[in-house]
Amino acid sequence: MSEPVVTEGDLAEMVEQVWVSYLDPEGVSPLVQNGEVKQPTEVHSTVSITGSWHGHLVYASSVQAATRAAAAFLAMEPDEVGQEDISDVLGELANIVGGNVKAMLPAGCFLSLPTVVLAPDTASYYPAAERISGLYGTWAGEPVSISMWQSVKQEASA
Amino acid sequence: MKILIADDSRVMRQIVTRTLRQAGFGDHDLVEAADGQQAVDIAVAEKPDLVISDWNMPEMTGIEVLRKLRAAGNNVKFGFVTSECTPEMQQAAEAAGSAFFIVKPFTAERFDEVFSPILG
Repeated sequence: MSEPVVTEGDLAEMVEQVWVSYLDPEGVSPLVQNGEVKQPTEVHSTVSITGSWHGHLVYASSVQAATRAAAAFLAMEPDEVGQEDISDVLGELANIVGGNVKAMLPAGCFLSLPTVVLAPDTASYYPAAERISGLYGTWAGEPVSISMWQSVKQEASA
Repeated sequence: MKILIADDSRVMRQIVTRTLRQAGFGDHDLVEAADGQQAVDIAVAEKPDLVISDWNMPEMTGIEVLRKLRAAGNNVKFGFVTSECTPEMQQAAEAAGSAFFIVKPFTAERFDEVFSPILG
């Protein structure tokens, strides 16, 4: 199989930028990769890409990691974070990584607005799409993953 | 100066506000819009000196907002803060009269670099 358009290394680079900019500006709590594709998550967000490339970018984590992300993004204490904060931040995380991913894809792609699901990533199913790369790890001991799914029937829907 | 921050994400509006403050532009008057149509309406009603806009928004995209304002003869200084950064988008932004293009994630240093010449 040829190398995917966006590799795990590419995702790692983008994710590192997000951590440095917003989630871990002090550089003390990075995302530690563990390669655990099947680690359980509790919430996830997705942006879809259409046009010259079809697929999805999925950000998934535990509720605790999402709460921690919301607290970091919004400069709040974790116990002040509400469900709306978590949803907004999850959507923004998928949007930021998805937007960066889009820059690596062929010209003529469109990025959707994010959707957020307060349920495990296994609750969403992407028909006729397969995972082409993913970054799996923990942040302060909590599961976080970022994965790319490419439609396998893009010639039919392009 | 009055600055309009247009982004459908409340989180990102808050982060832009915070980053402006961190970059030393905290004492400007800030107004917000949560979608493209609101951005046009507020840009017309409030007459900001600067518009910092997301690209991908409901109702109207950021580039449509810019084109609409320019078509109406509104020459407010306008630029993008977006997670999307393809060369075709940057060209479209420039052609429409955009003054800057900041890619998310961004830092206070990047804001300082872009906004110092504009905001002083």
